[in-house]
Amino acid sequence: MIVVKQDAMPSKTVSRKTWSRFKYPQSLIRFSIYLFILVFIGYSIAYMNIPLDRFLTMFGRLGKMIATRYYPPDISYALDKDYLRYVLETIQMAYLGALFGVLLSIPISVCASFNVTPNRKFVYPIGRFIIMFCRSIHEMIWAILFVIIIGFGMLPGVLALTMFCIGFAGKLFAEEVEAIKMGQIEAIRATGANFFQVILYGVFPQVKVMWTGIAIYTWDSAFRAATVLGYFGAGGMGWYLKQTIEQLDTLRVSAILLSIITLVIISEILSAWARNKIAKK
Amino acid sequence: MNQDTLQKNQVDAIILTRRKAKEIRYCFYTLLFLLVIWSIKITIIDDTDWDRIGNIGSIFRSMARFFPPDLSLIKYLFKPTVETFMMAFLGTIIAVILSLPVVWLGARNITPGSSMTYGIGRLIMTLSRSIHEVVWALLFVSAVGLGAFPGIMAVAMRSIGFISKVTAEAVEDIDPRPLEAIRAVGGSQFQVILFGIVPQILPVFIGNTIFQWDINIRRSAIMGLVGAGGLGLMLQRQLLMYNYGGVTTVVIAVLVLIGLGEVFSYYIRKAII
Repeated sequence: MIVVKQDAMPSKTVSRKTWSRFKYPQSLIRFSIYLFILVFIGYSIAYMNIPLDRFLTMFGRLGKMIATRYYPPDISYALDKDYLRYVLETIQMAYLGALFGVLLSIPISVCASFNVTPNRKFVYPIGRFIIMFCRSIHEMIWAILFVIIIGFGMLPGVLALTMFCIGFAGKLFAEEVEAIKMGQIEAIRATGANFFQVILYGVFPQVKVMWTGIAIYTWDSAFRAATVLGYFGAGGMGWYLKQTIEQLDTLRVSAILLSIITLVIISEILSAWARNKIAKK
Repeated sequence: MNQDTLQKNQVDAIILTRRKAKEIRYCFYTLLFLLVIWSIKITIIDDTDWDRIGNIGSIFRSMARFFPPDLSLIKYLFKPTVETFMMAFLGTIIAVILSLPVVWLGARNITPGSSMTYGIGRLIMTLSRSIHEVVWALLFVSAVGLGAFPGIMAVAMRSIGFISKVTAEAVEDIDPRPLEAIRAVGGSQFQVILFGIVPQILPVFIGNTIFQWDINIRRSAIMGLVGAGGLGLMLQRQLLMYNYGGVTTVVIAVLVLIGLGEVFSYYIRKAII
């Protein structure tokens, strides 16, 4: 809205408001929000004693460090037979964790979506809570907890990834279920179908394609997490990462990091390809 | 008569191909199933130290070590909790600032050069997303030393990929007519971006930033495990002292912080969009 106030008679005090997008109270609120954010940034920098002078030199130092200490990566170490076995174990771990997580999150997400949940007062909050709980705790904390409870090895890694995938896939699954068309559900209910038949013939056909895509994406994320789960004792190549870092064997560290990046990018390309293929079908 | 047999042959052929596809699919499922069994055997049955786990009772006994939570820790928890929150906040802000040039490079319709700059933008996005935050934190801890700063940078680097990827996709989907209008009145490339593109993608951008901030609280809660500050450092200390009650307390603090963050982000999103 343009407010231009012009007197009919040309006088000396022509009051002319310049155009601005936000009017008085709104502009003040916006301004105070910006000010608050800025003050909070400054306060948190002071609170945490962040050395700002290091910020500018940081990237240079990072580059120099990589060039001098991490540079030629010990590729032969990453092609070692033992290491490759651990890579295979990592893939298996991610695969199993994602499989269990996705399978478990199917019933949980059906319970946690508001439109088809069997009981809105009890089951719905419980399902929501399970998903929230699994999502809130980072997968590394899950790995640490499971390692404490059941010892080192790949089982705690698989369990941690299962928890991660319940949180990750459960939320996305539930969102898909909440977006379905209710007409078909009602039609199936009208024929006298029970809850499982409604889910099987009303909900699944509508979400099948999206769920498959989400499941593949979940596997991709689980693999990304699995590469470092071993850092906290839960099997896979993360264990090698920890070992070489503690030995300050930086050339090998860089080789392992390179292998992680390569594998993750390969898995990402694979999952993007698979998701495209499913979406087209 | 002849046509009938022809039709019949065609139907037969279709049924045959369908059956073949079905057989192939069943073969595939069987293979997948065998693969799962094999993985379960290798990872869970062979690799696990079943003697260490013992029976169900000993699992519950080792879980019981986490209870009751060590309440004497609560008065030390306030500072790391605030620190974790601030780490997530600053990390998200730095990620937003750093992701702007990446969006500029990686969106196909506004990238300054040819496919070369586009490739660079996409590469940065993929690299930032594919390296886990723990690895980023390890790198930054060795580059800038201990403290909250490497945690902030690790969180920021990890979020750049997501924010810039989603924003670049939003930029590629925008309505091109306002841009043409601005070009027609003589706007420069900068003005086209500022007045044509930014207003169109701002809701998506802010929504994703808040979403990412929500995730970043989670991430910054574990940064302390590899040497950056916050609640993770507290967790690491309790773990090293085998004070499992304290571990429970810290995990509860993380849950409370994330719950607050979720409520907070819900209201912000509601206020903006």
